[in-house]
Amino acid sequence: MSTSTYVFGDVFGAAFSRRGFVKAGGVLLAGFGLVGQKGSAATVDALNPARLESWIEIHEDNTILIRTGKSDFGQGTIFTAYRQIVAEELGVPFEAITTVISGDTDRTPDGGGTFDLLMHGMPNLRKAAAYVHQALLDLAAQRLGLAKDQLAVRGGVVSGVGKSVSLGDLVKGQTLNLTIPVRGDLTSMFGLTVDGNPPLKPVSEYTIVGRSFPNSATVSKVTAKETWVSDVRLPGMLHARMVHPKTLGSKLVAAGTLDKTKFPNAQVVVKGNLVGVVAPTEWEAIKATQQVAAGTRWADWKGLPGDERLFQFLKEDADWKTAPVASSRTNKGDVAAAMANSPKKLAATYQLPYLKHAPIGPTMAVADVRTDGNVYVYTHTQNPQALRSGIAKMLQTSVDHVVVRTFAGAGHYGRSNGGNAGAEDEAVILSQAVGRPVRVQWTRQDDLQWSTQSSAAISDVQLSVDANGKLSGYEIKHYMPAMQDDRLVGAVLAGLPTIPAPNEVGSLFGVANAMHDPWVYEATPAVLEQAYGTGQVGQSSSPLNVGLRDHSLRTPGQYQQNFPREVAITEAAVLAGADPLQFRIEHAREKRLIGVLEAVRENSGWETRSARPAVSNGVGRGQGVSVMFRSGTYWACVAQITVNLTSGAIKVEKITVAVDPGIVINPAQLKRQVEGGTVMGVSIALLEELHFDESGVTSSDWRSYPIATMADLPEIKVVMLHNPQVGTYGQGSEAANALAGPAIASAFFDVTGKAARRLPLKADYVKGLLKA
Amino acid sequence: MITIAVNGVKRQVQASADTPLLYVLRNDLELSGPQFGCGLAQCGACSVLLNGKEVRSCITTLGSVAGKEVTTLEGLPARWAKQKGLSEADAAKTLHPVQEAWIAEQTPLCGFCQNGMMIKATELLERVTSPSVAEIKEAFTTSGPSPHLCRCGSYTAIIQAVQRAAGTMATKRSEA
Repeated sequence: MSTSTYVFGDVFGAAFSRRGFVKAGGVLLAGFGLVGQKGSAATVDALNPARLESWIEIHEDNTILIRTGKSDFGQGTIFTAYRQIVAEELGVPFEAITTVISGDTDRTPDGGGTFDLLMHGMPNLRKAAAYVHQALLDLAAQRLGLAKDQLAVRGGVVSGVGKSVSLGDLVKGQTLNLTIPVRGDLTSMFGLTVDGNPPLKPVSEYTIVGRSFPNSATVSKVTAKETWVSDVRLPGMLHARMVHPKTLGSKLVAAGTLDKTKFPNAQVVVKGNLVGVVAPTEWEAIKATQQVAAGTRWADWKGLPGDERLFQFLKEDADWKTAPVASSRTNKGDVAAAMANSPKKLAATYQLPYLKHAPIGPTMAVADVRTDGNVYVYTHTQNPQALRSGIAKMLQTSVDHVVVRTFAGAGHYGRSNGGNAGAEDEAVILSQAVGRPVRVQWTRQDDLQWSTQSSAAISDVQLSVDANGKLSGYEIKHYMPAMQDDRLVGAVLAGLPTIPAPNEVGSLFGVANAMHDPWVYEATPAVLEQAYGTGQVGQSSSPLNVGLRDHSLRTPGQYQQNFPREVAITEAAVLAGADPLQFRIEHAREKRLIGVLEAVRENSGWETRSARPAVSNGVGRGQGVSVMFRSGTYWACVAQITVNLTSGAIKVEKITVAVDPGIVINPAQLKRQVEGGTVMGVSIALLEELHFDESGVTSSDWRSYPIATMADLPEIKVVMLHNPQVGTYGQGSEAANALAGPAIASAFFDVTGKAARRLPLKADYVKGLLKA
Repeated sequence: MITIAVNGVKRQVQASADTPLLYVLRNDLELSGPQFGCGLAQCGACSVLLNGKEVRSCITTLGSVAGKEVTTLEGLPARWAKQKGLSEADAAKTLHPVQEAWIAEQTPLCGFCQNGMMIKATELLERVTSPSVAEIKEAFTTSGPSPHLCRCGSYTAIIQAVQRAAGTMATKRSEA
């Protein structure tokens, strides 16, 4: 882009310039410049020098366009909360923001992952809007001949002292540029962050945030007008299916061949241990792949403990000594002394299995590697810029030659927050090999067996209760394999360059664990929380260097740490002869935490008692509670369940969730997010566990990896606590999925007096507990 | 060349008779409502109506639907317009009450499964005018080859949308 000719002004550190006057149209573009590199754009896209990279565009017809590098994964945030936040800061109606451009690496400014969407109340777009608001006030002050502090923007009109001008009229006939300072690395996992401190609209003046606007992406999805990633078709495109290795450590011996009389147009592509089959039609690709797969020979490999020996393996065989130990910043007191001086003690181990993200649509992508060296990838990813970087690394080319375009797709709950969902790199490799655009569609089996999984974990707890029935000492040691493997698996199989595995030099996160679950029972005098990490199970012994690859899943790491803590706190309450909900309130100091606990007590029909309920006709009915603090949001959950003491069957009857995110941005959308997360939580609690043997994942379909159906649906009650005085907004698309598990396990303890210290609560496990 | 009737229109398709209907709909007829979820009739993302009955297009062969009426998500508005006897002009403006309810209740989260959910809801509401929650749960879990799965957990919103659609269909039927 050419440099501007006339510096119009400086807006709280943002450079505001007029690039010229135009006869028709007019626009204000809010783009960015890297801090320390004044006047230069952060990146240059060699593919499209005329690209528009503004966060916000104000048009002369008073419509506004916003851009974000984030994608939508069903949270709706970029179509609802982001529009509300921008409209609020600018002083325009919600409806004025007519267009949201998201995710495409050549058409959006900031990058980063689709996680922590509200950035603890300060998403990039909020600050960008605040800068734009100030720039518009400057423009209006000049136009109207008034001082800036005499002006206010309401309903898209700037007015003061009897004069007014619409935002569209302010930009009419001009091209105005506002260059906003940013920091960071566009194609890193975290992208760019808007810098500086432009004045923000006071929360007390909010009129748009707090209202239930509909999600603008809903209509197209309901009326079959959405362009899903599954709908992307390019001229000359071939369909492909993969033949993935027989085990997680199987090297290719010989690829199968094709009967060309049956499949005249199909083609086998082999690169290293990567085998794919392409054909002009999808059905030919599928049938040809079946033939190739049947004839492909792989080496055997056994290097996994198998799911039945998983926890024994983690306890006895895994190396927890090499990685640095993470200690909580809130550790205090002398736990050993507290234990020695307290009459009641508990020592217990808690276990959680591997889980799958399990999107309803298996991952798929289209890639077009062109003869000029430019690469286009069409996919559904949470971190398009990081994927762009990964593809460039794989091809040993510059990111300037890679464009990632994103489309709606099946939510996958964190799997691609480091860039890769699974099929993108394979599509690139196949496209490069055949010189045509290629669409790789994973099967359900591929998606369960070759994608990453949420890490299994074990936690050891020791705690003590004093003579007054108070928690006197608490120690927890968390053990979890490295959680974030963002390598492109197709590149690994093909022997092409990738970022390091978690246990390799240069890994962003390494194998160290972290404390993910903030301690909330502040009245406890002695607390010691630590987290231990290790490499991924099977990876280092696999000739393919893959093993059980782990990846963050909705509420990552915190779910693994919150389950043992919350079940243990319930056990401590019972040890103290106290009501588990009141016990939590008595150990809390934070008013918002007490607020959510009181809210679930009032709204769930919680029975305050210390004794177990009566059992009638072999079915017991009980209640359990859990809490969490995550991303600026306080949560509490009550589960009411029945347990059939003969069959071991558990029925979750009702879940009540209270959520205090500070400011509730959009009540209707938040409610749907919490309901959805709760269903996933019930699913995790009752059904979900990855099965694997010594060679690989054996869960291959929805029968061998069942998730909750509508039959498992409890009554769900969501209580939203709007707390504007907090002054900022936390988020609601995570946490809810982690709350139900400990609440349900606690309810099981209430019914049976037997502590359920692992999930899922399947009938066989439950029957074993009941017999013990 | 095989001729099939999709959303009230006869279409000629150049694909072998053993091709799953899903790929014909998506690739040959460019209908994007039905989605590939499992290819195993275990999830319902690919559902269509076949002579009014919900089937899984991923395991339904092209050859088996000759002479039958296929309705996809795209065809729901016209199906409703025909049932209600709307004029062509009104039909062009209308959505199926199930779709309207899905929008009003803000049912989709990621939305990938919702094609099958709306197809199943339409099948149910053409059979039972005012289903109870138990009947809705039965329809979406045990009535077909597998439960209809939603990984985002929109089941509460689906039940509320089915009930809303039942209400508007009853009202609009009485108006007709």
